[in-house]
Amino acid sequence: MTVGRVTVDLCVRRRPTSWGNHMRTPSALGSVLLLGLLAACGGDDEAGTSEEAAASYPTEDIRMLVPYGAGGPTDLTTRTVGACIEEELGQPVVVENMEGGSGALAMTELAGAEPDGYTLSLVTAGTTVLTPLANDLDYTKDDFTPIGVMSEVPSVLAVGEGSRFTSAEDFFEAAEAEPGTLTVGVPGASTPQGIELQRLADEYDVQVTAVPFNGNAEMTTAILGGNVDAVLINASADVVENIDAGAFQPLVASSEERLSWLPDTPTFAELGYESLTLSGSTFGLAGPAGLPDEVVTTLEDTLQTCLGQDEVRQTIGEQYVREEFAGADELGSVLDDTQQAYEPILG
Amino acid sequence: MGILDGIGQGFGVALDPTNLLYVFIGVLIGTVIGVLPGLGPTATIALLLPLTYSIEPVTAVILLAGIYYGSMYGGTITSVLLQLPGEAASVVTTFDGYQMAKQGRAGPALGIAAVGSFIGGTVAVIGLTLLAPPLADLAVEFGSQEYVALTALGILLVTYLGTRHPVKSLCMAALGLFLATVGQDDITGTTRFTFGQIALFDGFDFVAVAMGLFGVGEILYNVEKTEKAQAVKTKLKNIWPSRKDFRDSSGAIARGSVMGFFIGVLPGGGGVISSLASYATEKRRAKDPTRFGKGAIEGVAGPETANNASSTSAFIPLLTLGIPANVVLALIFGALLVQGITPGPQLISQEPEIFWGVIASMYIGNLMLLALNIPLVGVFVQLLRVRSGILAAFALMVTMAGVFSVNNDSFDMWVVLIFGVIGWLMKKTGFEPGPLVLAFVLGSILETNFRRSMLLSGGEFSTFFTRPMSGTIFALMALVILISVVSGIRKRRGRSRPATPGDEDLAAAGMTAEPEGSPGAESAAPVGGAVSTAPQDGTGSAPRDGTGASGSTAHGRGEGPDRG
Repeated sequence: MTVGRVTVDLCVRRRPTSWGNHMRTPSALGSVLLLGLLAACGGDDEAGTSEEAAASYPTEDIRMLVPYGAGGPTDLTTRTVGACIEEELGQPVVVENMEGGSGALAMTELAGAEPDGYTLSLVTAGTTVLTPLANDLDYTKDDFTPIGVMSEVPSVLAVGEGSRFTSAEDFFEAAEAEPGTLTVGVPGASTPQGIELQRLADEYDVQVTAVPFNGNAEMTTAILGGNVDAVLINASADVVENIDAGAFQPLVASSEERLSWLPDTPTFAELGYESLTLSGSTFGLAGPAGLPDEVVTTLEDTLQTCLGQDEVRQTIGEQYVREEFAGADELGSVLDDTQQAYEPILG
Repeated sequence: MGILDGIGQGFGVALDPTNLLYVFIGVLIGTVIGVLPGLGPTATIALLLPLTYSIEPVTAVILLAGIYYGSMYGGTITSVLLQLPGEAASVVTTFDGYQMAKQGRAGPALGIAAVGSFIGGTVAVIGLTLLAPPLADLAVEFGSQEYVALTALGILLVTYLGTRHPVKSLCMAALGLFLATVGQDDITGTTRFTFGQIALFDGFDFVAVAMGLFGVGEILYNVEKTEKAQAVKTKLKNIWPSRKDFRDSSGAIARGSVMGFFIGVLPGGGGVISSLASYATEKRRAKDPTRFGKGAIEGVAGPETANNASSTSAFIPLLTLGIPANVVLALIFGALLVQGITPGPQLISQEPEIFWGVIASMYIGNLMLLALNIPLVGVFVQLLRVRSGILAAFALMVTMAGVFSVNNDSFDMWVVLIFGVIGWLMKKTGFEPGPLVLAFVLGSILETNFRRSMLLSGGEFSTFFTRPMSGTIFALMALVILISVVSGIRKRRGRSRPATPGDEDLAAAGMTAEPEGSPGAESAAPVGGAVSTAPQDGTGSAPRDGTGASGSTAHGRGEGPDRG
């Protein structure tokens, strides 16, 4: 039994060395290979072993993927949470940046990983819903098991200093008076922000021209230089700085309720655009589909403990962590809502 | 932040022991590869890119910048002593530098080159310090239309300047633009030409393409020419130039500094063009132009100053606009992107330690180079004893280890090798990888901004011409095309008259004073890798590869560290 256990562990553990990387491109091939390996190692006592494994989880290194490059807010969130999970569960957490393909690379890797809790990833509505809807990919959001929300970065509709719009009402009046003439920068075409403007036109008949940029830096330049009328932008730390400095005037917040740190900025819902609550970014933690309940519970509880710690909250950014912990169900419903709202547009 | 505060902060960064070490390593590598024919700064930086991922962004840029301007110093040494330009920007130095060496004045030639390089580099750093911040402020006003105009200008100049076959360059630029379309479309978010491969969603990996085309391509190309450089026996004495030498070259150094600075800022400008332009100017201004080509010290001082100044000022468009002016800067652009930093107008305010740290490191680096070059010239010359085959094998090994280390993926090594073979074939057939890679980098900027302009203007093309800044740039482009067409016609007429080969060399160099860089302009420039065996005697001082302005040797183009 002990010997068998060791064999299974060796076989199941994903990618201790470099060979895993070869699989990422032809993902189907990768899965087949994995299945083959599993079949070879599994044997007849596999079921019993995985249950036992789930109960004693974790007993080895946990790999946490970040579908984006090092240095961004996603990376910061994952590393902070990862370090805390490592401390709480007593097993090393290895954070790995796997950027590329709008998150498709990391998500394909996650979907193909063994559902044992040793491969996890940061997920967003963008990587799990949008990317597979906009592209022909082998995974959907149902290939993942949600664990919980790590952080949320809301979006704001903002104008530059000295803009002719001083309030949200001004802006939407002008937009309705001259359909399609106002230009609004968004961080990319198939980003939640870009789609939100599409929904603004489809559902509320307010037409603005969405101008896609590459990320916040370019959008900031565009608004400061007066080259677009407004931006719908992730309110990450750099944007908060600009708001504080007065370079950006926030007109509308994307959250369901007013943001605690922008109490004077109305939400889309208040302005009569009730359904436009999806342009913020939710950074969730998820594993592959079929993650055992025990493992999900362990991780969910640990995540809750971690997000309750002041140090973790401060590193991620106080304003980006929910007051009340949102677990697996809440993350699941965020992804479901997004899927429902986006499928008619992108599907 | 004021400039003084900025510089203060910059020196704080640059004097950090780690960064100090990397400046030193950078300028040392730069000097060494400048001496070694065949391994130019482009290839070296391409090869070393993966190694910079694990260090701090500012340290990475400090290292790469050091290699770039360091190579401008190193390239001089072999130009003077052996008539072998170590890298393409030092080609003009062979004209008079080697003649000086033959007259026993190799010491002063190298000395004045080092002093000129130091002055040129320093003047350019001061210019960069003073001009970049206001330019970045101005650049905030730049809209998509201006970016379209600037990138289009860059691609145009790259295909015209520093190349002998504009048509071939245009083909390569077109191919580069095409390669840039692979991957996700920035405006619609859909994928193009990916054939369902997730690996291609983000397009071709710039680093792999550049390492292949420049690094491996150049190594393969050089391995073909395995002739060993002749043993070096030159004795060096009196390196510090005499008072008369200084007096003779002070004007050339001053003009070279200013000219190099401005040419370096131009998209597509860089070391090769600025050194040629400086040589032409000095010759034109001289009371007795016949001295040129026979050991005139101004002919060494001016170009060497200019190529250093331009290699520094080339950082301005990158650091203020996010547009790489030449291929070396495109590589540095890539290095910053990998680190998660997008160079642009915001760089100075958001990453001041990078901006000012790099600038401060240049002051230090230039000092180090002066200190390295004057006493250690003899040591560097000994490097030429290394056989190119051994060097190539070693460089290839470093490349492969480097590229594998990025993703631990052997697939990437194949990508580099395949592009390496393509790059080698391109060089053999006279197609330049330079325009391809620069167009590849500028292509995505051009396309996204063009489509953004269309979105912003509601599809009106006139938006490009009615905005003052983009309108001016487009007018400039029209002028460049006009001038080059006119001078092309004029030259064709001129060619029907017989000319002595020696005269043509100099005429060819002289012509490049006009920025259109007509075909043939740099025919006298052998590739950095052209290891010609023995210096020729006689007045035609051009190295073997480019004896005639109209010579069609595939590798005779003045493709430089910056590939034009």
